[in-house]
Amino acid sequence: MRAEGGFPSPARRRIFPLAALAGQERMVAALLACAVCPEIGGVLLRGEKGTAKSTAARGLAALLPAHQAVSGCALGCDPQGELCPRCRERAAAGALPVEERRPAFVNLPLGATEDRVAGSLDLEQAIRHGARAFQPGLLARAHRGVLYVDEVNLLSDHLVDLVLDAASSGMFSLEREGLSIRHPARFTLIGTMNPEEGELRPQLLDRFGLCVEVAAPGDLGQRLEVLRRREAFEADPEEFSRAWGPAQAVLAARLERARALLPAVALADDLLRLCAELAQEACAAGHRAELAMERAARALAALDGRLAVSEEDVREAAELALAHRRRMGRPPEQEEPDEPEQNGQEPEEPEDSGQDQGQAEDQAAAPPPSGQDRQEPEPGDQDGEEAQPPPPGRPAEQVFAPDEPFQVRPIAFRQDRRPRLGSGRRSRSRTRSRSGSYVKSRQSEQPTDLALDATLRAAAPFQNRRSRAGVAVVIERRDLRQRIREKRMGHVVILAVDASGSMGAGRRMAAAKGAVLSLLLDAYQKRDKVGLVAFRGEGAQVLLPPTGSVERASVLLEELPTGGRTPLTHGLALSYELLDRELRRNPDALPLLVLISDGRANVSLHGGKPVAEALDLAADIGREGRLRCLVVDAEEGGLVRFGLARQLAERLGGQYSELNGLRAPSLVRAVREALA
Amino acid sequence: MNDRSIYPFPAIVGQEEMKTALLLNVVNPRIGGVLVRGEKGTAKSTAVRALAELLPGIEVAAGCPFSCDPARPDALCPDCARTLAEQGSLPSETRRIRVTELPVGATEDRVLGTLDLERAIRQGERRFEPGLLAAAHRGILYVDEVNLLEDHIVDVLLDAAAMGVNTVEREGVSFTHAAEFVLVGTMNPEEGELRPQLLDRFGLCVEVRGADQVEARLEVVTRHAAFEAGPETFRAQWSQAGQDLARSVVAARELLPAVRVPEGVLRQVVQLALDSGVDGHRADLVMVKTARTLAALDGRREAGREDVRRAAALALPHRMRRKPFQQVAAGRGKVEQLLARA
Repeated sequence: MRAEGGFPSPARRRIFPLAALAGQERMVAALLACAVCPEIGGVLLRGEKGTAKSTAARGLAALLPAHQAVSGCALGCDPQGELCPRCRERAAAGALPVEERRPAFVNLPLGATEDRVAGSLDLEQAIRHGARAFQPGLLARAHRGVLYVDEVNLLSDHLVDLVLDAASSGMFSLEREGLSIRHPARFTLIGTMNPEEGELRPQLLDRFGLCVEVAAPGDLGQRLEVLRRREAFEADPEEFSRAWGPAQAVLAARLERARALLPAVALADDLLRLCAELAQEACAAGHRAELAMERAARALAALDGRLAVSEEDVREAAELALAHRRRMGRPPEQEEPDEPEQNGQEPEEPEDSGQDQGQAEDQAAAPPPSGQDRQEPEPGDQDGEEAQPPPPGRPAEQVFAPDEPFQVRPIAFRQDRRPRLGSGRRSRSRTRSRSGSYVKSRQSEQPTDLALDATLRAAAPFQNRRSRAGVAVVIERRDLRQRIREKRMGHVVILAVDASGSMGAGRRMAAAKGAVLSLLLDAYQKRDKVGLVAFRGEGAQVLLPPTGSVERASVLLEELPTGGRTPLTHGLALSYELLDRELRRNPDALPLLVLISDGRANVSLHGGKPVAEALDLAADIGREGRLRCLVVDAEEGGLVRFGLARQLAERLGGQYSELNGLRAPSLVRAVREALA
Repeated sequence: MNDRSIYPFPAIVGQEEMKTALLLNVVNPRIGGVLVRGEKGTAKSTAVRALAELLPGIEVAAGCPFSCDPARPDALCPDCARTLAEQGSLPSETRRIRVTELPVGATEDRVLGTLDLERAIRQGERRFEPGLLAAAHRGILYVDEVNLLEDHIVDVLLDAAAMGVNTVEREGVSFTHAAEFVLVGTMNPEEGELRPQLLDRFGLCVEVRGADQVEARLEVVTRHAAFEAGPETFRAQWSQAGQDLARSVVAARELLPAVRVPEGVLRQVVQLALDSGVDGHRADLVMVKTARTLAALDGRREAGREDVRRAAALALPHRMRRKPFQQVAAGRGKVEQLLARA
C-alpha cells in the first residue's frame, strides 16, 4: 500500500449539512466568521462531549466554495497570491497551469508525529534520485482550507505550538533534515476540546482567535428537532442532503459574498475603541483579543452583507473573542489580596446539578459552608444523599465529609528542583521507556528506540554515494535517530493525610479532605497514580497503594475517620516506603509526596521527641532528593501558630502551601507567571 | 483459534444484558459498541468469540489487508482498486467475521499502522503497513481491560471508532482508511475508571457479575464440564439454537431500515435524556438506535416505549457519571428511578 492516500468508506462520506445544524447558532456564526477571514486565527469549540462539534467543523469545509489553484501543487497555491517555493520556481519558468479545486479539509489526528505535521524530506526522492525534495506536511496541505484538530487539548504541546504559529502568521518555515522551506499556510483552524479532559495551556488558549462554549440545548423541542434531523440524515443521507440543498446554497452564497465584501468593510473609530474597552473590561491579557474582535466584527458585518460594522457586530464578536480570555474580577494591574478568585470560566471543575458551584468557589477564606459533618462512614454515593444531623457532643472519632473540591493550581516541579508554581506541564513528560506517544526524533548513535522513518530520511540523501549491495538503503551509525516520546502519566502521588484529633477542630478536616479531593481530581486529569496514607492514633496506615483508581481513593477518603493523636513520623516513613517501592518498579515514575497536616506530631516512631523525629526524617528525605514534596499546611489560623508544616516543607526541600493556597489562581496570573 | 474450541453463544448461562447488547451491536453496528464492566471470569471474552462464530460470513477481496468489500467498488483500497481496474474483476472469498484483539501492551504503530520497514530498506519505497484498526474493519475489535490501555492509545482508538475512519499521519506515512468495527471493551472498575469522555464513546454499557444463585452457578459449571469433556458433542447439541439465533440476527438486519420510531417515542427519548442530565446528544441518538434495533430483533416494525426503557437502561447509566469520582453504579440507580417514573 502506498504510504500516501487511502480510502474512506462510502457510508461516512456524506457530510451533515451545516445549514441543518439546529440550536448551535453561535458555533455556526464563529465558524463562518473564520471562514470569511482566516486571519482571525481559528475557533476553539469547547464543550461537553457529543455536541456536534466535529459535525460542524466538517460541515464548514463542505460549504467552502471551490477556488482556482495551481495544478499539481500539493498546497494548492493561489495563482494570484503568495506561492510556495516550488510554484515560485515554476512561475519563473513560465505561466502556471491553473485548475479549479475544492478547499482541503485536513484532519490532524492525535497520533500524528512532527514530521507529518511540519513536512519532511521526501524519502523516495532522496533514495532513488539523491534529491532533497520536500514532502509537504499537514500544515501545507491545509493551505487555503480547514485544519481540524479534534481534542486539541490532548495533542502534544509541541505540535500545538507548530500549528498555532502557522495559523497566526499564515506562513510556515521548516528548517530540518537539510531542508529550508518557507511556504504559505493560510488555513482556518478549528480545534475542539472537552474541558473535562484538562485545559489547554493559557498561552495556547489565548492564541485561538475565537472560542465558543458548546452545549446541547436544554429545551425539549430543540433537542427533539436535533434528534429528528439526525435520524433523517442517517436513514437516507442523500435524500437529506437534497432536501437541505437550497438552504446550503443560501449559506454558501452568503459566505462567498462576505469574502468578497470583507476588504471593504470598515470599523468606525468609536467601535475600535469599544473593542479595546471590552477587552479591558474582561481583563484579557495581551492584544490578541482586540485584534480577533475587530476582525470577527468585520467578518460578521460582511456575512450580513453590510459594509459598515455595527455595535451589535462588535458585541457579538466580543462574546466570541473573549469567551476564553475573559477573567472576571479586577483588572490585571492590581495584585490580588488573599481573597479567592472567581474564575470566569470553570475549567476542569466537575459539576453536579445538585451542588452550588459558586459556593464552592467562595469557601476558601471563610469556613466552608457546604459539606456536612457525619458520624457514620458513608458509602461511595455522592448523589446528594441527606446528611445526618450533627452528633450531640463530640465523640473521639468523627467522619467529616469533604468540602467541595476545587480546581488545583498547577503544581509543577522542574528538574532543577527550583520550587516553582507557574504553569506546569506536569501531565506530560518525556519518557525514556518505550511507551508513550512518539512525537519526534533526535540523532543518537545508540538509539534504544529507533525512529525508523527519521533514520531513513537521514540516510536517504547519501545513498547515491554509498555502496549498496542488494538493499536500497545503506544506513550508517550517524544516520540513527532516537524516538522522543511523550507520556501523559508520570507522577506517582502519595497523599499522606493527617487524620488526628487536632485536625477535627474547626472543621479543618473537612477542608483538608476537600483539598485532598481536589488533588485527586487534579491527579485524575493528569493521569497520575495515587496512593493514600492516613495517620492517626497509634500509627499510620496505607489506605490505598498507588493505583490508577482515583474513584477508590475518593471513597476511602470520604470514609476516613478523624481522631486520636498524631503519629506524623510513621506517616512520613510509610509514604516514603510506598514511593520507594514504586520507584524500584518503575524508575521513570516521578514521585510526589503530598503531606496534609498541621505538623503537630505527638506520637514517636522510634521513641524520640515526636516533632524533632519528624523533622529529622523530613530532612533525610530531603537530602536524598529523590522525591518531590508538597506540604499542605492545615494549621488553624490564629494568634498562636507553630509553623511546623513550613519547617517540614523546608526540611523536605519541597513546596509549602496553605490549604487555601492550593486553589487555582485566575488564569491571568497564570499567564503572567508563565510568560514571566 | 479453531471452531471446536469455541463455546456456543446460546449455551452461555445468564448474562442476558451482555448478550443482548452484543446482539444489538451486530445487528446495528452504528449503535457504537459495548463496554462490559465486571469481574474477571464472567465469560466476557467467550461471549465475543462465540458471537463472531455465530454470524454469517462476509465477502472480502482475497488477501486484502483491509477486508475490502467486493460489493462496494466505490470503497476499495488503492491496491484492490488497481486490481479491479487491471483485471476487470476482484477475486473474493467468504470468511467468518473476525475478532481482532487489541492487547493492553499494544503500541501506537501496531494499532494505527506504520511505515513498512522491509520495503523501505529493500526497495527504498515508502509503503503503509496496516495495523490492528485495518484488521478490525468489518469485524469486531475486542479490547480487554480497556481501562488499562495507555491514554494515547485509547484516544486514537476511540477517534477511529467514532469516525469509522483511521487517519494515519505519522512516521512519514499519510494514509486514511475505513475502519468500521463493533468495539467491545471490557474492564474491571476496581482497577480504575475510564475517563467520562471515553465512556461516552461506547454506545452501550453493561454490568456483568458471576451468577449469584446456586442453581445458575451449578449450571455454568455443568455446561463447562460437558463442553470440556466433549466439545464436539456439546457444540452439536447447541447448534440448532445457534442457527436460530443467527437467523434472527439476519432477519433483524433486514428489517431494521423499515422500523419506524413514532414521534411520541422520540419525545420519550429526549425527555429521558433531559431528565438524566447527560451531556450532549449522543445518549439521545444511541437510545433511538437501540430501541429501533430491539424492535427489529423482536420482529416488529415499530419501536415502542418498552424498547426505549430497555435502551435507556443500556445507554444512560455510564453517561451520567458527571464527576470523575462518581461511580457508574450511581448512574444505574438513577436511571432505574427515572424509568420507574416514566
